Amino acid sequence: MDFILEGFFEAYNLLVSGNAETYSAILATVKVSSYSIGCSLLLGIPLGFFLGYFNFSGKKPLRTIVDTLMALPTVFIGLIVYAFLTHRGPLGNFSLLFTLPGIAIGQTILALPIVIGLSATAVESMDKKLRIAILSMGANRRQLFLTSLWESRHGILAGAIAAYGRVMTEVGISMMVGGNIKWHTRTITTAIALETNKGQFGMGVALGLVLLTIAFCVNLSVSVLRRR
Amino acid sequence: MDLPIYEIRSLKHSYAGKTVLEVEHLIVQPAAIIGLIGPNGSGKSTLLRLLGLIERPSQGNILYNGQFVEPFSDEARFHITLLPQEPFLMKRSVFKNVSYGLKLRGNSGDTADRVNEALSLVGLSSEDFAQRPWYALSGGEAQRVALAARLALTPKVLLLDEPTASVDAASAQLIKEATLRARRELGTTLIVASHDWQWLYEICDEILHLFKGKIFGRGRETIIFGPWQKLKTGKWGKILSDKQQLQVSFPPNQEAAAVIDILSVSHDRPTTSGEDIVLSGTVSRLSLERKTGRLFATILVGDFPFNVGIASEQVKEHTIFPGKTIFIRYRLDQIKWI
Repeated sequence: MDFILEGFFEAYNLLVSGNAETYSAILATVKVSSYSIGCSLLLGIPLGFFLGYFNFSGKKPLRTIVDTLMALPTVFIGLIVYAFLTHRGPLGNFSLLFTLPGIAIGQTILALPIVIGLSATAVESMDKKLRIAILSMGANRRQLFLTSLWESRHGILAGAIAAYGRVMTEVGISMMVGGNIKWHTRTITTAIALETNKGQFGMGVALGLVLLTIAFCVNLSVSVLRRR
Repeated sequence: MDLPIYEIRSLKHSYAGKTVLEVEHLIVQPAAIIGLIGPNGSGKSTLLRLLGLIERPSQGNILYNGQFVEPFSDEARFHITLLPQEPFLMKRSVFKNVSYGLKLRGNSGDTADRVNEALSLVGLSSEDFAQRPWYALSGGEAQRVALAARLALTPKVLLLDEPTASVDAASAQLIKEATLRARRELGTTLIVASHDWQWLYEICDEILHLFKGKIFGRGRETIIFGPWQKLKTGKWGKILSDKQQLQVSFPPNQEAAAVIDILSVSHDRPTTSGEDIVLSGTVSRLSLERKTGRLFATILVGDFPFNVGIASEQVKEHTIFPGKTIFIRYRLDQIKWI
């Protein structure tokens, strides 16, 4: 049990001393997860709103597909994105394999169905009386959309958090598409996996604590937003 | 003559293929107060939603100030507002709820004044309520905030769907006063659906009776809805709560509605002939029809209110006053069925 305790002490030292390798992994994680969550929110919220708000033929099968994609295994996404980005693949010319944007593409694919699905659920569970209330005040289509979106913000935020959590903690995509290259594409989760294999628990625990802290900060800011 | 504020032409509205409202022609004059009366499911709320441009009619047209309008029409969306039956407040403070419509209109200068004024119109102090969140209001307060949000817009048309149905007597009174004040001070056209017949009879220029999606009367007819049963006497009718028999002619179906025209009221039981039916009841209210200046008595027979127009001489002659027991007479062969 001592090695776990030692791991915590080492984690403290690594973080306080500003260990470059540790902070490189943290920075890579924050960068790549910000890209991917930004893209998935930008695309996913309007798509989720459309899916939840409107009735159209084929809505149910589409919803089932989105719900299924919410459980996509990260290694499978890693495999597919790898196949597309490798120099033999259709997007090989862009040289995105083993880069942070490459990982971000994979993580966007991971987060997008979660944002779409949970946004659609939030919009679907909106009170039907809201539409009448907004229209009765003289809203046009754009105002109706924006107000409805704002009124379902709590549900959409919950979706965003779930997606962020999934992106932050995934290993498969980062490992396969990023290649776990030190100082370059090594993220917190791939670093933990590697360091644990090497028996370096300290760095693993330190990075784990950072992950927890980031998750805590995200949840804290969301709960502040919820009160508004 | 002024251009009608609303004109409905050959309107038909359906949900899932079932027609729920059919209005061949209807004109509403500016600044009029129109009452909608009818049982649940008669099409009152649907008519209000169509007039409020919330929904597009399945067939037919609605003209507002002579122009064809539909949801999102720029000609009308800032002039018409609907207060739905169940108040719905957005997840924001009372102030932001009331100012929402003003914000949509790009109003910024006097928003705070208008919000405060609208809140005071419905009897809510802005000091106490403006910053309250939506969830910290009682049902009556929420309904009054929802009305204040509409009044702040100084609308040309205010559509009210059962505005007093789920609030206490004090809130109901404040809501009634505020709506009438809007009509008086702004010339707002009011269209009100309510089960509070007495209130509607008092304030309205015209009453529209709706039943099964159709307008079938425009006055103070007494309408008794089915189901009907065959009485022991072999006639059709209802046994009232005071054990009297309300007889009717043979109904076209068990759920049909009977329009009963009261021929006379009297202090003493009148003598009757073959088709005459006499019932005793209690005067529950005397009211004045604003438009015509006629007096009306509401006579409770069992639980059913009968509306009877009465000449002022009759009131004196029969000393009619609320609480008094009097007799009403109608004829079976004059009952109309809907």
